[in-house]
Amino acid sequence: MAQETMTVHLKVWRQAGPEESGSFQNYTAENVNPHMSFLEMLDVVNEDLIHKGEEPIEFDSDCREGICGTCGFVINGQAHGEERGTTVCQLHMRSFSDGDTIVIEPWRAKAFPVIKDLVVDRRAFDRIIAAGGYVSVGTGPKPDANSIKVGKDVSDQAFDSAACIGCGACVAACPNASASLFTGAKITQLAMLPQGHPERTRRVREMVHQMQEEGFGNCSNIGECEAVCPKEISLSNIAKMKREYLRAMFSDS
Amino acid sequence: MLPLKRALSSPIGRKFVMSISGIALVLFVIVHLLGNLTLYIPDGGESFNRYAAGFEALGPMLYVMELGLLAVILLHAFWGISTWLRNRRARPERYAKSIATKGGGSNLNIASRNMAITGSFLFFFLIIHVWHFRVRKETVGEKTTVNGQEATDLYALVVGSFENPAWVFFYTLSMVVLAFHLRHGFWSALQSLGAMKPRWSKQIYAFGLIFAILLALGFLGMPIYLFLAAA
Amino acid sequence: MTKLDARMPEGPLQEKWGHRLEEMKLVAPNNKKKHNIIVVGTGLAGGSAAATLGELGYNVKAFCIQDSPRRAHSIAAQGGINAAKNYPNDGDSIWRLFYDTIKGGDFRSREGNVYRLAEVSNNIIDQAVAQGVPFAREYGGELANRSFGGAQVSRTFYARGQTGQQLLLGAYQALMRQVDRGKVKMYPRQEMLDLVKIDGVARGIITRNLITGQIERHSADAVVLCTGGYGRTYFLSTNAFNSNATAAWRCHKRGAYFANPCYVQIHPTCIPQSGDYQSKLTLMSESLRNDGRVWVPKNKEDIGKPPHQIPDADRDYYLERKYPAFGNLVPRDVASRNAKYVCDEGRGVGATGRAVYLDFRDAIKEQGRDAIEDKYGNLFHMYHKITDEDPYEVPMRIYPAVHYTMGGLWVDYELMSTIPGLFVAGEANFSDHGANRLGASALMQGLADGYFVVPFTVGNFIAEYDVKPVGTDHKAFDAAEKDVRDQIKKMLDVGKQGSRTVIDIYKDLGKIMYDEVGMSRTGDGLKRAQDVISGLREEFWKDVKIPGRADDYNKMLELAGRLADFLELAELMATDALEREESCGGHFREEYQTDEGEALRNDEEFCYVAAWEYSEDGKPTKHKEELEFENVELATRSYK
Repeated sequence: MAQETMTVHLKVWRQAGPEESGSFQNYTAENVNPHMSFLEMLDVVNEDLIHKGEEPIEFDSDCREGICGTCGFVINGQAHGEERGTTVCQLHMRSFSDGDTIVIEPWRAKAFPVIKDLVVDRRAFDRIIAAGGYVSVGTGPKPDANSIKVGKDVSDQAFDSAACIGCGACVAACPNASASLFTGAKITQLAMLPQGHPERTRRVREMVHQMQEEGFGNCSNIGECEAVCPKEISLSNIAKMKREYLRAMFSDS
Repeated sequence: MLPLKRALSSPIGRKFVMSISGIALVLFVIVHLLGNLTLYIPDGGESFNRYAAGFEALGPMLYVMELGLLAVILLHAFWGISTWLRNRRARPERYAKSIATKGGGSNLNIASRNMAITGSFLFFFLIIHVWHFRVRKETVGEKTTVNGQEATDLYALVVGSFENPAWVFFYTLSMVVLAFHLRHGFWSALQSLGAMKPRWSKQIYAFGLIFAILLALGFLGMPIYLFLAAA
Repeated sequence: MTKLDARMPEGPLQEKWGHRLEEMKLVAPNNKKKHNIIVVGTGLAGGSAAATLGELGYNVKAFCIQDSPRRAHSIAAQGGINAAKNYPNDGDSIWRLFYDTIKGGDFRSREGNVYRLAEVSNNIIDQAVAQGVPFAREYGGELANRSFGGAQVSRTFYARGQTGQQLLLGAYQALMRQVDRGKVKMYPRQEMLDLVKIDGVARGIITRNLITGQIERHSADAVVLCTGGYGRTYFLSTNAFNSNATAAWRCHKRGAYFANPCYVQIHPTCIPQSGDYQSKLTLMSESLRNDGRVWVPKNKEDIGKPPHQIPDADRDYYLERKYPAFGNLVPRDVASRNAKYVCDEGRGVGATGRAVYLDFRDAIKEQGRDAIEDKYGNLFHMYHKITDEDPYEVPMRIYPAVHYTMGGLWVDYELMSTIPGLFVAGEANFSDHGANRLGASALMQGLADGYFVVPFTVGNFIAEYDVKPVGTDHKAFDAAEKDVRDQIKKMLDVGKQGSRTVIDIYKDLGKIMYDEVGMSRTGDGLKRAQDVISGLREEFWKDVKIPGRADDYNKMLELAGRLADFLELAELMATDALEREESCGGHFREEYQTDEGEALRNDEEFCYVAAWEYSEDGKPTKHKEELEFENVELATRSYK
């Protein structure tokens, strides 16, 4: 079957290292098959660059099916591109038109320093989780799983929050580079479930303070995080985090 | 136990401060508007001056109230600016192509993106406004009689000012800016306090728009009304 | 050939693990902090092992190639995790789970290991629930179960279609808790490039920092390898882009035997390749075959025609034709193989001719669109998003893709490899799935190994061997680091002049692997594969083109190193497949089939684990571990 191909013009942020200053470089991708994913289009551009003896455009990706959270950059001012509920690996070239100019930039936030080109360091997220994003149970004999009953609606809501893939799009899209949606989702998941209750005071306190120390901005309730979230995690997770924090402020523990 | 200072400077605590001070200011503005509505009564300013005289009758308590209000305003402004600076620092390198919304539930708009600018403008407006009526009331205000007692003729001061189209323009503009500030601020304050059920948030956000428009219309109607009445 | 000792405990199946736990030597609590343990890989096995070892009090260093331990490929597992809880009261038991797994593996796994797996399966569910993993629930608040292939009971626990993600996040959070406590030090974006052996015992690793290119040395008293499978040997697979066998292969080159490399699972329902640029394949749940009918045109001339223009008389519903009893519901390997046959005949559809139709026309006609949407709505949506075709209107196109590798480094009952001190857990080892893995068993095995086996057996090893501390200044570290540096330098030296990119050569490897070491294998084909692979290996070392520098973030250099190892492993896979002159599970040799065209096992001659010892001269030595079945009877599968 013959397929129509297209040509797109890329304006890509190139930065040699964390301390180097970056700039935009122009590339043209020809013979782009509309069924290609955005990353596969970049793969092809890279093959071309390698053949020409130039350094390929570095970007992160792994599972390429939208669940690992490794990939992500800003396409024309939108984290993960224009399609909602999608990671960049699941964005297909058919959502662009022949002749389009596409501006590609890394996540930009103080807490996510650029490593190279479109690759950023998101370890700040791990440190937020390490501060308290867990239930402190050791490995070993536990009560039977069914001895903890959780209603289906509560369990489903907890799952909605737990669906976060930690890609960092929320930070990238937030005008304040806030990590509130990421942090709020984990706090909400564990606050919904009975297993998370004994530690909820300490958890919200430590995670929020870690978020601050990492240099993320403050939430001003704009909601762009929810709009770009590939898992469409709701802004209500942030409201829940705030209630949890308010509760912690007046808690004795 | 969470130390209060730590709590209030945390990303969430500082929004609590902004929300609570913001709500306090909104309440003040509502009371202010209700009082000012007496300007619309066509009785040559009698009701308005009576309302104004009520404050004078408070004596030293008035200063306490004014100082309290000033404190709330300064807190809101100071915390707001410091939060804004932190937010700026959180993204030292800006995007070349500015953030474009994907729509949906996002409230990314001219109101939400410019809270610091509208807030700063309102602070500037407040200084002018306080000088314009509060200070000048003491310095250049003429005397009149309200309920048989001597009082400042604030009505004359107001009416006199709004014969000048420049003042009408400035106040109108300021009230439009206030509307923008409240358009995001009202909803945001409730959201920041976590005082929001997900299923209410759309309605509250819509209510915020109506509220902001009504408040602004109530205020900006005055200079225009007085200007037209004088003409 | 030496006989391999699995150190299987004596006694009845049901008591083996309990006895072994009781016999094990313990490390005193205040001594544990004196021992360093390295865990490589942070998926379900590695994450859970590192968290548990840290919590026990050891000093753990955990390494992963991803930017965060939360991104290991376990995260992509969709379906669920098996456990013998018997919550639905449908007669399940540890024994049944054990038996189903042994049978599903076509009687090529160790009874003792599989029984232990079934035994601890229940603890995994309890553990995950205690961590706050949001499994699906019934309205009354109890856990929900569903049924899965290869079992007659409902024993699969799930969290929507993201069970792997939720279980991994549970393990990741437990791991991050230990990081916070200072018991685990996390090294993300670090790739293990060699194992350091001192006096024949694993004592450390050499890693490359993937950001700076810096080569680092890390010493330890035991090394736990949890680095996943080698499905990416085929280039296109459902595995993640960075999944690789480098750590396992380099351990193999240092003396760890590689077992059953030819056992590869090829999943029948994946979205087919759409062009040469394709970088990975996406799995579609197997459940689609409950209602979809698989067909291709009878005549080659029709393959380009829109499917609705092909009348029923010209369609070949080949699974229904060949397997009237099971029809479209034949097991994974049978469905995959037959799709390959019809495409080989030139009757495949789609742009590349490597796809078959999975048609819901009749199901929609019979049950209504709503019923189908209710069952498969999310899958149809995913398919639509990727292919831009509406499966309610046109049949889906599917093709098999490599999904899981049952083979891996040989381990004994305690999950220790043939190198003392080197433990291997999860998909990286060979131990529990035999020649074929059942659905929802991979998550179970990863967590069983990581939470409930390795933490104890590592302790036993440390106590038994009386391991003494060692520094990274030992000459064995010098030698290993030099080897690593030399290889990188050699690659880059070739890479400067070469003309073929890494991806280019890699795709050729993938092609020959799919063609000859894939769903259906022949002696001649496997010999051809060996030749082609060794040719590709030569080409790689003569003509590969690699951009950039060694001391920098360099994705192509990473890939080049992994490809170099795949090019060696691939040949071993072909050799193993060639020497296993029988068909079993995922390994189908065309010469060994029944008259009806089904897999023909040869229990007389091949009821063993083939464990390969590396040799510099390219002629690996095969060691056999005979499999003894004392508790189950070897039976034949039939789906006619």
